Amino acid sequence: MDNLILKVCTKVLFTPIILFGLYVQFHGDFGPGGGFQAGVIVAAAFILYALVFSVEDCKVIMPPKLNFFLLALGAFLYGFVGVIGLILGDPYLSYDVLGSTKEAGQHVGILLVEFGVGLTVCNVMISLFYSFADFDFGKKNND
Amino acid sequence: MFLAVLIALAVSFLLILVRLINGKTTFDRILAANSIGTIIVLGISVHGFYMGRPEFIDISIVYALINFIGTVAVLKLFDKGTLGDK
Repeated sequence: MDNLILKVCTKVLFTPIILFGLYVQFHGDFGPGGGFQAGVIVAAAFILYALVFSVEDCKVIMPPKLNFFLLALGAFLYGFVGVIGLILGDPYLSYDVLGSTKEAGQHVGILLVEFGVGLTVCNVMISLFYSFADFDFGKKNND
Repeated sequence: MFLAVLIALAVSFLLILVRLINGKTTFDRILAANSIGTIIVLGISVHGFYMGRPEFIDISIVYALINFIGTVAVLKLFDKGTLGDK
């Protein structure tokens, strides 16, 4: 879209949206938030960029190959943290053994798992947008 | 005092709902839907302070963000017929 106001707004908002996503990600233990919400917020920044500029421009800053790699990496991180507990002799996804004390281990575990969830959700949203963005809904039907 | 603000927001919500239902063109309706989003952002914040949980402001910021992006997406859809390039 050739709208200067929208373009400037998007350029100004892009970084604060991602910063807010990170805030929601790491604030999840104390207030409303967590991996799913943070992933969607970060993906919203990229989707806004793709809407206002173009999908091609968005594919420059987030290439589809990197997108799929990060998508798989997030799911891998989630499973890997679970398997570490399994290897060290605790049940699957048990966080107690990850740190020096039980509390430290749980802190590290929940942080890593939530980060994996956030990464996967963010990249799934972006790849869904890439897949469906060019769908033609039919031309201009004003009422 | 927060209760009075909440009631005022509910009344203005109803007024905008009337505008949304019998809006003249599509763009009037989009503007009305956007205004309802703004009212709900205010409502979430005031409700958070009313119930003594100010962390609801986070949720209202997310709501404002999604509201903005949704409006841009709907306008682009009506302008071009697609969300992508072309």
